[in-house]
Amino acid sequence: MRFFEQQRQARAQTLRLLLLFGLTLLALVLAINAALALTWRLVAWQDAASVIYPAYFFHINTGMTLLFVLGGWWIESSNLAGGGVQLAQRVGARPAKVLGPLSRLGSEDAEQKFCNIVSELAIAASIKPPTAMVLDQVDSINAFACGWDDDRNDVVVAVTQGALDCLTRDELQGLVAHEFSHIKEGDMRLNMRLAGMVSGLEMIFNLGRTMCEANDDGHRSFLALPGFAIKATGSLGWLAGRLLTAAIARQREYLADARAVQFTRSKDGLGGVLRKALGQSPDLTTLHPSVQHMLLLDPLQSNRWFATHPPLAERIRRIYGRPMSALQTDDLLPTRPDVIF
Amino acid sequence: MTTTSLISIAVLALLVFWAVGAYNRLVRLKNIIANAFGQIDVQLKRRYDLIPNLVEAAKKYLSHERETLEAVITARNQAKNASDAVRSRPANAQAVTTLAAAEQALTGSLGGLFALSEAYPELKADETIQGLSEELTSTENKVTFARQAFNDAVLDYNNAQGQFPAVLVAKLFSFTPSAMLQATESADERKAVRVQL
Repeated sequence: MRFFEQQRQARAQTLRLLLLFGLTLLALVLAINAALALTWRLVAWQDAASVIYPAYFFHINTGMTLLFVLGGWWIESSNLAGGGVQLAQRVGARPAKVLGPLSRLGSEDAEQKFCNIVSELAIAASIKPPTAMVLDQVDSINAFACGWDDDRNDVVVAVTQGALDCLTRDELQGLVAHEFSHIKEGDMRLNMRLAGMVSGLEMIFNLGRTMCEANDDGHRSFLALPGFAIKATGSLGWLAGRLLTAAIARQREYLADARAVQFTRSKDGLGGVLRKALGQSPDLTTLHPSVQHMLLLDPLQSNRWFATHPPLAERIRRIYGRPMSALQTDDLLPTRPDVIF
Repeated sequence: MTTTSLISIAVLALLVFWAVGAYNRLVRLKNIIANAFGQIDVQLKRRYDLIPNLVEAAKKYLSHERETLEAVITARNQAKNASDAVRSRPANAQAVTTLAAAEQALTGSLGGLFALSEAYPELKADETIQGLSEELTSTENKVTFARQAFNDAVLDYNNAQGQFPAVLVAKLFSFTPSAMLQATESADERKAVRVQL
């Protein structure tokens, strides 16, 4: 894997998609203005040449649209201010048990190993070591990172019990390295803000829908016409926003995969994780929706266009440069201790 | 004031803003290099501290293999002395070469110890040994990662200061390219990382 090249591609792709997102917002503002102007013209029954719009008609339309979208951004951003540890605990993670340096280590005690890996990779990624946490209720292989990498030191990287049980040391390292890329690249922030704007777009759509709705008598109010215009443009904007957000999230996954290979300088680490994940039976335990998009693997494997994660087979192909078969976790359950002696 | 002078002032202000930004970016990247270099030193020291503990714990099982254990300790002491010498005279090429050789010897003798341990199942089962070997694995990884992070940081910095137009700012404030750690040492180090047998 030419990881620097792949990183450059993923970054450039992200930038293009973000630009497209910006253009979508611009187009939405224009479309809403146009749609409302059209309805105003219909309502006012005037000649095209002599239409008089109310004072500040376009200012207000533009202002309201931006208020919804940027308000969504702001709400999501302030939601996360609660911090990574709180969010991780809400999802059911608990801090990993650290035995302290030079203490006795049982052969099965993977949590110490996990903590060691976290501090190793913090060096590789040149970031402050985040808090290591474990999702001990989840038996499938997965992991997530949350919190923002600022000076409050409130970033969490959490792995599932399944990952601790089925992965070798090198694979666990690859898994953690992938999450470290999300931390280092600020993907949480990006995802949250985009999701916030998309929910703002949804609010515009909902506003239009409410205006369209008939009341109990079956009559529509005079707002139905502009409501329909808002609903139509809002739904297009919402759809485009969701598609673009998902496309950006997929690029960030490729970036994180390439970064993980850069940090560990090993294809077999993360590659092994993904191949084992491909081999594991699909796990229907869903995690809390607020961390769903931050996971290493998307357990829902939703529709291709709206998926936040690229298909596993494609990620494996990019890491190894060719398709690889799935690994069965059952064959690999440790028959010998990973550690020496 | 004419439009022309207004425009030229605006262009000049933009240029100054850009130059300040480029300068700060170069300073930041250079500091990351210094930090990465510090990490290598810290982790090497930790490795030297761990080895006597490991040897002490292994002694119980390896009473017939005194020579191997002593070889490890001797190599560790030499490497530690060499690294102390490098710390006091960091620019001295002779000291760095001595350290590289001592590290190589240490790696070799540790490898001998690990190979030996294959023949002693009760040694492999010992909990203290398992804990220590995990610690040593982790420290070996940290040494490797610290070297790697150093080289990655140097790459970022060299890219930033060598590319046009930032190269103009770099030339003006004499930011020179930084050297990477050579692979000759790390190739030998890589053997040590494979602590799992």
